[in-house]
Amino acid sequence: MTAISVPAPSKRKFEWMSFGLGVWCVVVYIFLFIPIGFLIAHSLTKSSAFEVWAGPPSFRWYPKVFENKQLMSAIRASFKAALGSTIVATIIGSMAGITLARRKGRWTKPFIVLVLLVLVTPEIVDAIGLLRWFVASELKLNLANTWFSLRSGLLPLVIGQSLFSTAVVILIVRARMEGLDESLEQAAEDLYATPRRAFMQITLPLVSPAVVASALLAFTLSLDNTIVSNFVNTTGNSTLPAYVFGKTKSVLKPDIAAASTMMLGVTLLALVLVVVVLKRSGDSSSDIAATITGQ
Amino acid sequence: MTAVSTPANSPMHARRRLRLPRSILAFPAWFWFLAFFAAPLGLVVYNSFGSKVPQSVGNVSMASPSLGRYREALTGTFFTVFETTLKIAVIGTVLCLVIGFPVAYWLATRASARLKGVMLGLVIIPFWTNFLIRTLSWTIVLSPEGYLSHQLQSWGILGGPIHLLATKTAVQIGVVYNYLPLMIFPLFVALDRLDPSLREASKDLGATPGRTFLQVTGPLAMPGIIAGLLLVYIPLAGDYLTAKILGKAQGNMAGAFIASQVIDAQNLPAGAAMAVILILLILGTILAVGGIGLAIAKMSQIRRSVYVDTGDSI
Repeated sequence: MTAISVPAPSKRKFEWMSFGLGVWCVVVYIFLFIPIGFLIAHSLTKSSAFEVWAGPPSFRWYPKVFENKQLMSAIRASFKAALGSTIVATIIGSMAGITLARRKGRWTKPFIVLVLLVLVTPEIVDAIGLLRWFVASELKLNLANTWFSLRSGLLPLVIGQSLFSTAVVILIVRARMEGLDESLEQAAEDLYATPRRAFMQITLPLVSPAVVASALLAFTLSLDNTIVSNFVNTTGNSTLPAYVFGKTKSVLKPDIAAASTMMLGVTLLALVLVVVVLKRSGDSSSDIAATITGQ
Repeated sequence: MTAVSTPANSPMHARRRLRLPRSILAFPAWFWFLAFFAAPLGLVVYNSFGSKVPQSVGNVSMASPSLGRYREALTGTFFTVFETTLKIAVIGTVLCLVIGFPVAYWLATRASARLKGVMLGLVIIPFWTNFLIRTLSWTIVLSPEGYLSHQLQSWGILGGPIHLLATKTAVQIGVVYNYLPLMIFPLFVALDRLDPSLREASKDLGATPGRTFLQVTGPLAMPGIIAGLLLVYIPLAGDYLTAKILGKAQGNMAGAFIASQVIDAQNLPAGAAMAVILILLILGTILAVGGIGLAIAKMSQIRRSVYVDTGDSI
């Protein structure tokens, strides 16, 4: 643009800085991918110990994942519970997120404080509290072995995993709604659309990229959940992370690495979907980064 | 019921009665959080004033509520664990900032639009990898019989096998690794929103790159830096898994210690009191750092205004 030349010495200095920054980035990216690389490599080991590599690479541990009944049932439980908690989190989180942006009032501040508290509280504290709460409410209300029991099947997992996810969905959907021009909805109402119709035909389509992205994020967060799941799960309903965590106390086998590598594939698929959804709705990479990390 | 024939039954009143609160759509989330977050947390706080019923499996007696568990927590082993936790958390957060800032800066200022997307995606991948699994992967990397250990020995860099597992160093590496992306994202977002012309203007006005960084880029990136510090420090201080897996008994952090009180010692009141102290510690550090930050900001503002005043008077 400008024809005024920049003094040469300062320009050279800046190139050195770019070079240094570039080298630093390469080092940090290697650091970020070291464990993942090791994990994938060790899913292909021939040895029968988790930490020991023995070549040549073989796929012998992959079929073993499908033969391990406990591991398979843990994977199934993981997906079912994550699906349940994603449905809960997406529905109640989106509703709350939209309301936070459009129906401000005295309730907004305490509600946001509550959401932030959910995000801030150490997971181990949630886990202990939730387990005690489930047991106590069951004893007090005499719910054990009734259909309403909170401690049956996957229900405790769904509840436990949905808390953090719901908070994340609320923040993402709210951020998107704040960025949307309210005049579109007002225009719909001026044109005699009922509030319901304005919501269904204007608000919902506009906010849907954020809802889809946050749902996928909720799903991976739920799959990822280890501590709460490990505390509240009921017998026979252990999730994959809870199962693996239990195994860390004894001896790990490479089938864990194989199963983890496959789970990594699922997570990456979800990530790619999020990026595609957000890209199609016209977000820049900066916006996408902000959304994915819940800002 | 009794008002059947009163004006309350007129259409207007019926409508008003039917009108729901404007925030009705947030009610399910309210209910969910109160029932499954606030209530359990309240139960933990409540139990922290009780005492363990001897020889029972985790029963709690609330017969004589007291602050005894807090006193025990602050005088016993847990105090040391607290110190370790605070140290690991502060060092870890600072390391994340020091390591992450250049990366975010490069991404925001040097990378082309296309490369930006790819490189950001590469930061997101480890972040989205299962937390337990990526922590567990470090046990492969740092294993004394592992590939890295053998290679470093054969290259003559190390005299013997790596002995990092079950040490505080391993926990420190693990937490920096686990929370680094949470530092890079907000820094990137803040730096990416900065108008490049501001840096150019500073340069054109004769500022050295260092001065531009300290007086233009740094202050403008402050919201991102603060967000990053909070996003890293909060979960790091409450970390349980990293300490449990990479530190074992050695790198005991508060989260892991609380869990062992509740699970192994079956002493819920003690664990609950420590949990309350941990939460207060996290909030306390944030408030303290925030307060110092505000004070510094105010002071530098005063100094700047003095500077400007003298400048005007010349």
